[in-house]
Amino acid sequence: MNEQVQGKNIYQPYLMEIIKVVPETGDTKTFHIQFQEASLRESFSFVAGQFAEYSVFGEGEATFCISSSPTRMSHLEFSVKRVGRVTHALHQLNEGDTIGFRGPYGNHFPLDKLKEKNLLFIGGGIGMAPLRSLIHNVVDTRADYREITILYGARSPQDLCFQYDLESWGGNPSLEMVTTVDVGDDNWKGKVGLVPMVLEEIKPSSKETMAITCGPPIMIRYTLKSLEKLGFTPSQVWTTLEMKMKCGLGKCGRCNIGPLYVCQDGPVFSLEEIKKFTSDEF
Amino acid sequence: MYLKITPKKLIQWLDGLKAQAEVLTPAKVDGVWTYTLSDLQTLPQHYFNSRISPKSLFFPSLQALLGWRSSDSSLQLSSTPPPDGQRAILGLRPCDARALRILEPVFLKDYQDVFYSQNLLRTLLLGQACQAQCEGSFCEEMGIDPQDSADVDLFFREIPGRYLVKVVTEKGKNLAGAGDLFEESSEKEWNAGQREIRGRRDKPLFDLERVKAGAGERFPDEDFWRRVSDKCINCGVCTYLCPTCHCFDLCDLQMPGQGVRFRCFDSCAFPGFTKMAVHNPREEKWRRYRQRVNHKFNFFYQNFQTVACVGCGRCVIHCPVNLDLREVLLAIAR
Repeated sequence: MNEQVQGKNIYQPYLMEIIKVVPETGDTKTFHIQFQEASLRESFSFVAGQFAEYSVFGEGEATFCISSSPTRMSHLEFSVKRVGRVTHALHQLNEGDTIGFRGPYGNHFPLDKLKEKNLLFIGGGIGMAPLRSLIHNVVDTRADYREITILYGARSPQDLCFQYDLESWGGNPSLEMVTTVDVGDDNWKGKVGLVPMVLEEIKPSSKETMAITCGPPIMIRYTLKSLEKLGFTPSQVWTTLEMKMKCGLGKCGRCNIGPLYVCQDGPVFSLEEIKKFTSDEF
Repeated sequence: MYLKITPKKLIQWLDGLKAQAEVLTPAKVDGVWTYTLSDLQTLPQHYFNSRISPKSLFFPSLQALLGWRSSDSSLQLSSTPPPDGQRAILGLRPCDARALRILEPVFLKDYQDVFYSQNLLRTLLLGQACQAQCEGSFCEEMGIDPQDSADVDLFFREIPGRYLVKVVTEKGKNLAGAGDLFEESSEKEWNAGQREIRGRRDKPLFDLERVKAGAGERFPDEDFWRRVSDKCINCGVCTYLCPTCHCFDLCDLQMPGQGVRFRCFDSCAFPGFTKMAVHNPREEKWRRYRQRVNHKFNFFYQNFQTVACVGCGRCVIHCPVNLDLREVLLAIAR
């Protein structure tokens, strides 16, 4: 029994104030938020890869990862693509508006296993959000890691999220940054092609390397195959899975993959773990 | 510890209990068995499983969790107070009592759901032995003795002119021992009160151990799940009436200037249950049916060392297309 939460209403969110809204693409925004209660700003902690439940009161809750880094705790950030009821409602909100926040929930990226290793990040579209949290984290503690390569792809140059980060990472001599789009335009200087294809083209070495990937399910599936082709073993590959969630607490019963609950046993899994899944329903 | 009591004195005892607790008993309301507040003129007799399982008294189909008041400049949240007031449920069947225990780790493990835990704490469970096999039921196949239960506070067996009482918990002992209405009894007398269950099958329909192993073995067999789920119309009635189904949704009700967030029953039978922005891992009906059966007989067992089914038979008799879970389990066990 978790002593901390005993007797409390586990469904009750904390109130957060939106302090900034950053438009990322035509349909994606990043929200900078801060706890209303000053003491929580100090005491709250999380690890890269964890997620939370965010409320727009009257519309409902939705699940998003925390896309900012635990090394930058002046506020929290989360990034939202407008697709359904709650995400539409979130996109209507402005600086100064109030939302609800429950979390952090779930497991996290295996920082201890990443230390002293080369890191290969492979992101697609809004799937960059959880990777971004970890990338900022490792950039801020750069000495703990060896070579870092970031491959990020989107459908078009206009669909690339976190352009300000991409610029800063691109200009950082201690990082290797590759961007790709499915369809380029006249000004596009990066690569053109699907993420798994570009991955096989740039042929990163699997030696002493950990690969961390997140993106649309179809991209993850093919990226995992490409990584295997490049010689990555299943224990060298990590991803964070998306499943429909409501409670985030292992109770509401919809994020199951076999006996696992993505909200508690995940969302971060190694390919080694994924290969042992009973079910392909994810 | 064993006791006995006459029906008259039992009514007296329950009357005394009424001073401190609501007493709910099985009653037929509009032709349907249910658990309802009782005036205790008579004791319930010859009743079968309620249509809505008593799980709803602990995990209601709609539970307000929190509310808010909002104006242009501010928003105040208020947590719904946990349920309070003592209750006693008389005539709880061994299957339904077991179901409450099965749900315990779901709601209490890791993050304690205060609504469920308070409902358990505030309720005295008075079980009662079955005398006839309910239609559609397979409780004994699920390892449940219809004439005994360790999942209640006190358990009653009706014999001519008397109720035999098994004291299961300290709470039950304290309440039954509080007056001079109960008399001493013995294990011997208790055992002699064992009755033949009317309509009981001579031999079990299937072996639960085979079902547990078979559900996992059958998991990859798409044809099998397509075949057994063919009739299903995704109405979800099995999940709503099931005493162990617990999947829920969280939803908001917004009114002018205020709102409420509810927890409400949901069902893995519904196509939208796992629907996400870009894909739905259980869009096909056979996948949803496979999930339900495996969640109950395979995954839940792996996680909590018990299957999430008590064989009450509600899903069997209320299924509008006669999809008989017993036939599916038999096919799995084969």
